[in-house]
Amino acid sequence: MTTIEKPPPAAVSPPPPPRGEPPKAHASDRLRHERRLGLRLSAPAFIVMILVTAYPLGYALVLSLFKYRLTDPSGREFVGLANYATVLTDPIWWSAVVTTAIITVASVAIELVLGFCFAWVMYRIVRGRSLVRTAILVPYGIITVVSAFVWRYAFQLDSGFVNQWLGLGTFNWFGDRWSSLFVITLSEIWKTTPFISLLLLAGLVQVPGELLEAAKVDGATAWQRLWKVVVPNMKAAIMVAVLFRTLDAWRIFDNPFIMTAGANDTETLSFLAYRQNVTLVNLGAGSAVSVLLFLTVVVIAFIFIKVFKTDLSQVRGDR
Amino acid sequence: MAGKKLRARLTGAASAGMALALVGSFSLVGCSGESAGPPTLTWYTNPDNGGQKTLAEKCAAESGGAFRISTQVLPNDATAQREQLVRRLAAGDSSVDLMSLDPPFVAEFANAGYLLPVTDPADVAGLTAGVLAGPLKTAFWNDQLVATPFWANTQLLWFRRSIAQAAGVDPSATTFTWNQMIDVAEAQKKKIAVQGNRYEGLMVWINALVASGGGQIVENASAGAKATPSVASPAGDAAAGVVGRLARSPAAPSDMSTATEEEARSLFQSSDGAFMVNWPYVYQAAKSSVAKGALDQAMVDDIGWARYPRVDEGQASAPPLGGINLAIGAFSKQPEAALAAVKCITSVPSNAEYMVEAGNPAARAAAYDDPAVREAFPMADLIRQSINDAGPRPVTPYYGDVSSSVQRTWHPAQNVTAPQTPERTDTYMAEVLSGERLL
Amino acid sequence: MGVDGRKTSNWWTVWGLLILVWAGFPLVWMASLAFKSPETFRDGVPTFLPKEWTWQNFRTVFSDELFTSALRNSAGIAVIATVLSVIVAMFAAYAIARLDFRGKKLLLSMALAIAMFPQAALVGPLFNMWRGLGIYDTWIGLIIPYLTFALPLSIWTMSAFFRQIPWEMEQAAQVDGATAWQAFRKVIVPLAAPGVFTTAILTFFFCWNEFLLAASLTSTDRARTVPAALSFFTGASQFQSPVTAVMAASIVVTIPVVVLVLLFQRRIVAGLTSGAVKG
Repeated sequence: MTTIEKPPPAAVSPPPPPRGEPPKAHASDRLRHERRLGLRLSAPAFIVMILVTAYPLGYALVLSLFKYRLTDPSGREFVGLANYATVLTDPIWWSAVVTTAIITVASVAIELVLGFCFAWVMYRIVRGRSLVRTAILVPYGIITVVSAFVWRYAFQLDSGFVNQWLGLGTFNWFGDRWSSLFVITLSEIWKTTPFISLLLLAGLVQVPGELLEAAKVDGATAWQRLWKVVVPNMKAAIMVAVLFRTLDAWRIFDNPFIMTAGANDTETLSFLAYRQNVTLVNLGAGSAVSVLLFLTVVVIAFIFIKVFKTDLSQVRGDR
Repeated sequence: MAGKKLRARLTGAASAGMALALVGSFSLVGCSGESAGPPTLTWYTNPDNGGQKTLAEKCAAESGGAFRISTQVLPNDATAQREQLVRRLAAGDSSVDLMSLDPPFVAEFANAGYLLPVTDPADVAGLTAGVLAGPLKTAFWNDQLVATPFWANTQLLWFRRSIAQAAGVDPSATTFTWNQMIDVAEAQKKKIAVQGNRYEGLMVWINALVASGGGQIVENASAGAKATPSVASPAGDAAAGVVGRLARSPAAPSDMSTATEEEARSLFQSSDGAFMVNWPYVYQAAKSSVAKGALDQAMVDDIGWARYPRVDEGQASAPPLGGINLAIGAFSKQPEAALAAVKCITSVPSNAEYMVEAGNPAARAAAYDDPAVREAFPMADLIRQSINDAGPRPVTPYYGDVSSSVQRTWHPAQNVTAPQTPERTDTYMAEVLSGERLL
Repeated sequence: MGVDGRKTSNWWTVWGLLILVWAGFPLVWMASLAFKSPETFRDGVPTFLPKEWTWQNFRTVFSDELFTSALRNSAGIAVIATVLSVIVAMFAAYAIARLDFRGKKLLLSMALAIAMFPQAALVGPLFNMWRGLGIYDTWIGLIIPYLTFALPLSIWTMSAFFRQIPWEMEQAAQVDGATAWQAFRKVIVPLAAPGVFTTAILTFFFCWNEFLLAASLTSTDRARTVPAALSFFTGASQFQSPVTAVMAASIVVTIPVVVLVLLFQRRIVAGLTSGAVKG
């Protein structure tokens, strides 16, 4: 039984042969036409994607070679790779790398476990199924900035209830790095677990029911069935979900911006790039940060795809 | 062929749809542009409960149809205000006719060519006549008037009369120091409310402490990137001594490292409050809380005020200087109308009116003699004196770098020690200014 | 199902209830704060629920030009960007699902790259380009990047839906005498519409939520969207923090999300689970 309300995944049907044409005679003609049409239909998508990402990134590459501050235009000069040296030797950059990594690892690990539990509940629940699914979509759809404010005010000393409930007195959550990171990660987890749990649910329904039944008959415990049957059968879904969430968490910006404004070493890489470029209008060093941030993403994606062999064939449409 | 036709239609529809939608959104952009009519000046104001908007309407009415003024409210926080304005001006935006500018950013804006100087000596004399000494120091760049002081601000020491009485001290005694205050608060088991969050307010505090000790954050500030950091000095060490001692004292608020003005006010009004350094708005805010039934009148009656405490017993304090200067955008298409508006908005009557309505102190001395002002602000003379003696923050085009360097090295306050913290600040600031470090 | 089965089923319902609490609790807190009085919410020991309930915060935000214009901008920008993105993605998804052409792999790989792209790396260059083009702080200046970053999700979701459409029916209709256009309109459009619609909802969520670019590429109420406006919300004076008003505004902007979720829960779940990964 599938629990997802959609037609069972049908095999991709090849385009049916156009009617009234002898299949062979004009085959190459038809193929050429199809290619042209395909390109024409996807051209707008190609153009905007290149225009909005590739071109500015190239521009950032150029800017990063200059010492250039918007409010000091006369001070603009070519400095080669000096900006990169500055950034890479600066503790602020490395602190942002560490902070981002902590948030990413913690949130993805917890979300994976929590998301799996949620997916399992959504998979098995009978009464109240649609209610649960509706509820879980609310954090997914809510504005991240709103989520950040809600959690910030819950923990903030003068407005929040958390300290009263936990008997923490006047403990200042945002007064220290680790407790700040805890609240930031909590908001991130609350907001994005639904996404990962839905991806995992999609994988879960693909696990053949017969396999589970067979394992049960063979006397496997629930734990064994989970690890020996369920997880291996949804490995691809798990890896893709983890990859997407990792790269998403790596870009975290809204939560630290609203909650701490980067105080107490809670500045993330996106925040650093934003601050250099937008707040300080330091476009030279800021562009260097942008380019390096992009490279970190490339490295992470590379690790997932090559080292962990994440199967992206579905995403890329190889199938 | 039927199939071919369909596909041709599809591609056609693709381009048509795109074109339509793009045209649609472009025309929407057009709609949100300015409307026709008599020349309209746009004034970017800082949030103040609508006081500047009222002034804008008043001055437009008085202009006899020469101009209208529409206002755009900037964000709450000084750094964010600067960020919004810089981006608009860097984009060469001609819609910035007038802007309410935080004084520390005047130098940066002027140096970048974003501000239109007032050149006619008669205008300069008129706009600066009777302006208090503190704000006057922030109005010029390269000897040109670039940002007319509109309203000024300063912090006072606020104290609970009952606690001062119980401790047998008089905080309004001229020699009252930070150390005495901490002693009293510790003895009375009460708190001292300050602004310790990592934001511009922290810089305000540190600058006031350093200036009160006779020092300055940077020497040769107008040299911009080549200025010399000078926090590591006897005055800087004394400031670090006060900040560190308070932060590690039982008199420190538990949310000190995240407290801004409002957290400070709420602590001061609570049963833990004893002292607070804060802007005069707190008095009006407390009174309006009483009017809304959220606070007892007895609490307001218990509030006392005094000049900003000293760092060194033998030296008068240099209270913080805040406020707003009014500048004309360099790309404005109506500079004459803008200048006329500046004259009206910063006039003595406007100053007094604004002080009563918005609770923000005037930049011109004469406004404090207005009876309405004296009634609303029983401490009007103290405010005037404090603003006059206030120590402005460094006037440098690299103010953002200077301020952030200080904020980063002095936060959280628990870790501030002398002489290490001032030394760290100097090293860090020098590296930041020369582009060797990130901020 | 026997007694045993029903018992387990009850257990799953209990777990489901926990999920309900988990998802709903912060919303209750948001509402509670939104109904507290701005004067007293921080006095004394903060309680979870308001001591007295007030609509004052909602009146405040709706009389605030900053918020109402942001609401207008958010709605307008999100709707236009969604429509554009869905149109662009629809053609691309059609090509991917039905046609064989060189560049298909490239298109999908590029979509993948965009889905992973760190937007923060673009704020500097985009700001500089936009100010050169004169579209800084305009609707179009946000619509362009939004539609781009929404494209991958739109393309995947729609091509997954399109793959399941029995395209042969188009031919069958034409055999029955319908013209190509009629066949497309009467047969294919109704089949494709749910997928397109679902994609539109997901794209709308993305645009409604976006903060980084909105904060970087706008500066006045001409184009500032709700998330950016919330973060710059101002209190009665420069120094007052509008905690309760922010929460009231948050409630207002969460309502559309909740309504969409309530109405289209099935579609959204199907869309999220069909697009990127099928396991």
